[in-house]
Amino acid sequence: MALGWYLAVSVLIFCIGSGGVLVRRNPLVILLCLELMLNAGNLALVTFARMHGGEAGQIFALIVMVVAACEVTVGLGLIVAISRRNLPIDVDELHELNG
Amino acid sequence: MSPTTWGWLVLLFPLLGTITIGLGFRTYSRAAGVIGTAAIGLAFVCAVGALISLLGRSGAHREVVSSLWNYDVSGGVDAGFQILVDPISVFMMLVVTGVSTLIHLYSTAYMRSDEGYSRYFAYLNYFVLSMLILVLGGNFVMLIIGWAFVGAASYLLISFWYRRSSATGAGIKAFVINVLGDVGLVLGTFFIFRHTHTVSFLGSFAAAPHVFHNDSTDLVAGCLLFLVGAFAKSAQVPLHTWLPDAMEGPTPVSSLIHAATMVTAGVYLIVRLHPLFQLAPTAGEVGAIIGCATLLIAGTIALVVTDIKRVIAYSTMSQIGYMIMGASAGAYSAALFHLMTHAFFKALLFMAAGSIIGAMAGSQSLDRMSGFRKAMPFTFACFIVGGLALSGIPPFSGWLSKDDIIAYLNNRGGVYEVLGILGYVGALLTGLYTFRMIFRAFFGDPSPEAVELEHGHIAHAEVPTNPANGEVEDTEVGFPGPEHVIAEREPAMKVAMGLLALAAVVGGFLQLPGVDHVIQNFLSTSLSDAPLASAAHEPSSSSAWAGLIIGAVIGLVGITMAYGVWVRRPGTAAKFQAALPWLHDFLVNKWYFDEAIDLVVVRPALAIGRFAQSVLERIVISGGVTGGVTGVVRSGSAAVRRAQTGVLRFYAAAVILGLSAVVLYFLISST
Amino acid sequence: MLASHPFAASSAPFTLSILIWLPLALALIVNALPTKYVGRGAALASLLPVAVAITFVANFNSHNPGLQFVTDKVWISALGIHYKLGINGLNVALVLLTTVLFTVSLAWSAVREVDRPHTYYFWFGLAESAVLGAFLAQDLILFVAFFDLMLIPFYFLVGSWGSGDRVRATIKMVIYTMVGSFLMLAAAIATGVIASGDHGTGINFSFSALQHLPLSRTDEDWIFLAFALAFLVKMPIAPFHGWLADAYKAMPIPAVAVFSGVVAKVASYGFLQIVLPLFPHAAHHYQVLMLIIALVSILWATAMAFTTDDARLVIAYSSVAQMGFILLGIFSLTPQGGQGALLQMINHGVVTAASFFVVAAAAARAGGSEKLADMGGIAFKAPVLATLFLIVTFANLAMPGSSNFIGEFMILLGTFDSHIVIALIASVAVVGAAFYALRLFIRAMHNRVGGRVRSFEVTRNEAIAIVPLCLIILALAFYPQFGLGKSQASLDVAVLPAAALGGHVDMSQYATLAAAAEGRSIHPPISEVSYGAKQKPRRVYTDRKTATHRKAVHS
Repeated sequence: MALGWYLAVSVLIFCIGSGGVLVRRNPLVILLCLELMLNAGNLALVTFARMHGGEAGQIFALIVMVVAACEVTVGLGLIVAISRRNLPIDVDELHELNG
Repeated sequence: MSPTTWGWLVLLFPLLGTITIGLGFRTYSRAAGVIGTAAIGLAFVCAVGALISLLGRSGAHREVVSSLWNYDVSGGVDAGFQILVDPISVFMMLVVTGVSTLIHLYSTAYMRSDEGYSRYFAYLNYFVLSMLILVLGGNFVMLIIGWAFVGAASYLLISFWYRRSSATGAGIKAFVINVLGDVGLVLGTFFIFRHTHTVSFLGSFAAAPHVFHNDSTDLVAGCLLFLVGAFAKSAQVPLHTWLPDAMEGPTPVSSLIHAATMVTAGVYLIVRLHPLFQLAPTAGEVGAIIGCATLLIAGTIALVVTDIKRVIAYSTMSQIGYMIMGASAGAYSAALFHLMTHAFFKALLFMAAGSIIGAMAGSQSLDRMSGFRKAMPFTFACFIVGGLALSGIPPFSGWLSKDDIIAYLNNRGGVYEVLGILGYVGALLTGLYTFRMIFRAFFGDPSPEAVELEHGHIAHAEVPTNPANGEVEDTEVGFPGPEHVIAEREPAMKVAMGLLALAAVVGGFLQLPGVDHVIQNFLSTSLSDAPLASAAHEPSSSSAWAGLIIGAVIGLVGITMAYGVWVRRPGTAAKFQAALPWLHDFLVNKWYFDEAIDLVVVRPALAIGRFAQSVLERIVISGGVTGGVTGVVRSGSAAVRRAQTGVLRFYAAAVILGLSAVVLYFLISST
Repeated sequence: MLASHPFAASSAPFTLSILIWLPLALALIVNALPTKYVGRGAALASLLPVAVAITFVANFNSHNPGLQFVTDKVWISALGIHYKLGINGLNVALVLLTTVLFTVSLAWSAVREVDRPHTYYFWFGLAESAVLGAFLAQDLILFVAFFDLMLIPFYFLVGSWGSGDRVRATIKMVIYTMVGSFLMLAAAIATGVIASGDHGTGINFSFSALQHLPLSRTDEDWIFLAFALAFLVKMPIAPFHGWLADAYKAMPIPAVAVFSGVVAKVASYGFLQIVLPLFPHAAHHYQVLMLIIALVSILWATAMAFTTDDARLVIAYSSVAQMGFILLGIFSLTPQGGQGALLQMINHGVVTAASFFVVAAAAARAGGSEKLADMGGIAFKAPVLATLFLIVTFANLAMPGSSNFIGEFMILLGTFDSHIVIALIASVAVVGAAFYALRLFIRAMHNRVGGRVRSFEVTRNEAIAIVPLCLIILALAFYPQFGLGKSQASLDVAVLPAAALGGHVDMSQYATLAAAAEGRSIHPPISEVSYGAKQKPRRVYTDRKTATHRKAVHS
């Protein structure tokens, strides 16, 4: 089976994810898009692991999942904190940390 | 004990005196004067000890060096904490400690009512210590230390009444001009060190004939720089302007520092460095000419000054002119002889002036003094003795010593003979201004203060004012004290003045041409290496006596003229003034030296400083250079900062773009 | 022992690392104390580094020109960076001076109210460690690290505890001196990399190793300029002193005392320890330029000092002038000039710190104002303070009889030997110094009583800092040889390579010393050729002279 298709799907998902991160302003959606990008990466890792016959890539994919879970927790926590302070749920409005 | 042990003891006592009085200034009230006087008295005793110890040695062994520790030994410089005891330094030690003891004694009474009594004696002891370091120092570094220390002591004592702006101004002026002299000494030392590779006196003197040929450029440059030091310290033109202003200090200070000892240091310097000056006749000529110019310029100014202390100050300048002239020409023993007799009679004159100023309630103006002859007979007698000695009237000491110098000059011939003849002109001026002062203060109708004194009261000003500028005194410190003290009533002052008067009369007999040559013989060890001091250059007794007679006649003529102008026909001086107003203005303004220095040095320096401060420093340095560099850094950081927008999606786009660029780069480069 | 082995290695009961890190460690320990005692604790604790420094000075062998008490550990092996410390004649007295000045400044702070004392004393401890590290470092990178570390505590000390326009002053000072520091960092890295590249050795940054790996002339020139710029800014020397006035005005008094007293000295010390031995050709090449800069600095600062109306700035500018003299001495490239410069660093460190404390005491009596116009007439009720002020003033104007005079004397003597005209012009500034120093004294202490003046005698709080410094000034005045004697051997080694290019130095004498400095007194000496030859950087040994020199060493 041609592994190239797996990679093509991975690239597609990655592009959808990054496009979402760039154009959406709702942090919740941005988080979802980020998950898409991470999973695209996972798919690529697993594909390459399969291609080379090693298990390192699969282990990496597992680690990325763990990290993604942590990241989502922190991200959601932030969103909750923002909404509790009655701040706008909009990343363009939250730009106080500028130079 | 060896002469150097005595020498160290001579230094020790004034040091102990300074420290004791300084540390105990709260505890001692009257004791400070006793301690100070005793310390200097002991130093005098030790100086006598050094003299006896030195006389016990044969001629060749009378130059003794002793070093306590390494002071500055590195990079070829070899300066120890070192003294040199030889006839010249012993002679100076005796004069300095002797006169100082008497002036300390006088001060115990004169300064009695002053708030700063302890401080005064601490300073005065410090001065004597400095002066002794100066004359005892065994190398150039020690000499320079003593040289600067006396300048500092002089500053402290000129500014003694430091609430007076005139006193602090005079102090800083004296100090800065003296630092100029220090710099001259330092640079002169460099010129000598460059060739002799040693800073010790004896080493340099031994090496000098081998490393310098006659009148070699570096040696002349060095000697001229030494002369700058000598001129600054000894108030020779054009560096003399501080001395008249220095009269702001208490009168005993003027007597000790600005007449008897410190200002004659320049003469000592030339005599001490005679092996170098011998090899640099050009420098000697410059010194002699400047000395002669000073003696005439100061003499003319003294004719018109009305402040009694300043008259004596200008007279001091003039007399030091004689000494510098003599020392530069080679009349070393004569110059030191005159230094000694001058110390006696000039100290005496200042003390007597202090007494009369006390009687005038602080006023120093000759215009207000008159007719004190009956009211103050003792002071009057001292003035007469001092005045006659100053004018060179037989048999007083100044007669023998001053004409000793002139006789030597005339004997040496050439340009020196011209200077010798000008010296006689100076003698005429001396008689004239000295007795102008005496006649105006003591003759004529008694002034109100004199009348009061005849009735037993001393005049006392209701509102004390500074005699220099009329400011009301700050009585906390800037004021000599409410009780004025005059010699007529104070035994301490009377003893001091009496002893000095005695010395002023008999001091000259130490050296009578053809009869005895005590000073010349004593100094001969130190001067044996000086061809100019050899018998061939000394005038014969007959010519010396001829010179003495001429000098005496000229002095008498001067006094007679003064008598004619200020006693027999009192209006004459005013007529001269009316006839020659420009000359009078010229002299009253002291030949415009102060104005010229102000115009050439002080104002440009201040103007440049202010311009630099206000324009260059603010705009160019702080604004331009530093501000420029910090500005570049800050604007650079501002530009970078603009990328930090705070918009999350902007960052995301940047990351993705950057990532794509990197990937693209590797893709392209791998194919 | 000294007689048989003149260059015998010395030992001390402590290592140099202990000396460096002790102040920081003590500051951390003291931080545990309650607020009330932290100041006194810090001041007392700072006596420990003084004691340690004294053991090093006491065990120091003045005859040995080389490094003593060396600590040498590999720090970052991949980059060839060593943690190398050592004492030689150039830094031995400066180390002692640093510990003493910090103790005095801490004592001054301890008897006063300080905001947030814990942090304040921590920064002082860090500053002392950094300064000691900079003096003791014998590796270029280590030196640069400590040199920049010095800036951090002062950034906070000025920014948080300063007065007036402190933020602007801090930023100006930090940015300006950092620019110099970065240049130096670049130059330091370049030195190590280029030198090892040229000679095909492993990268090494230690001073002694780099001395044997001469650079090409062009490299040497630009590296010299980068180092010089960093040091000139830090000293500071006109016209690079633009940060000085604002920063010194803003700093708290104890901070400005140590900054002007020792931090600025690190830069002038760097010239002697690093620049002259490592870049002798460039030093010789740019000698006249540096001398002229020094001269301009002296005259400029003198003019500033006698026109400014601010007492603290008089001292600040006078220190710029003094640093000008130090630079003059260093770049006279003569042993006398170098000796004078080194002695003057010590003198000036003590005197300038004392001056700042005295000015603070005078300001305390003039209603807190440091303007000369507000002072005046303080002496009458404060005779002891006036006396201390007078001692400091006389030392500051380098009156003969003070140790400062010996410093200036040697500096001018060295300059006189190499460039007579510059020496003559510089000596004019001595007269200017007399004027501004005395003007400060008179305007503050004498004349009529100023309107806001409430004078009182010197208090214990003031005497605690001023009296010890005045005693040191007096002691040095009696025995300046203390500073001169220890440094001569090391100084000759540092200065002579550059001096030899000027032409009139006896190189055979240098060869013996240089050999001894590397602890190989029986090895053959370097011949004169090695210093003149540009195309042959390797050293050339001559056997002919060996025998005589061996004799000279052992006689």
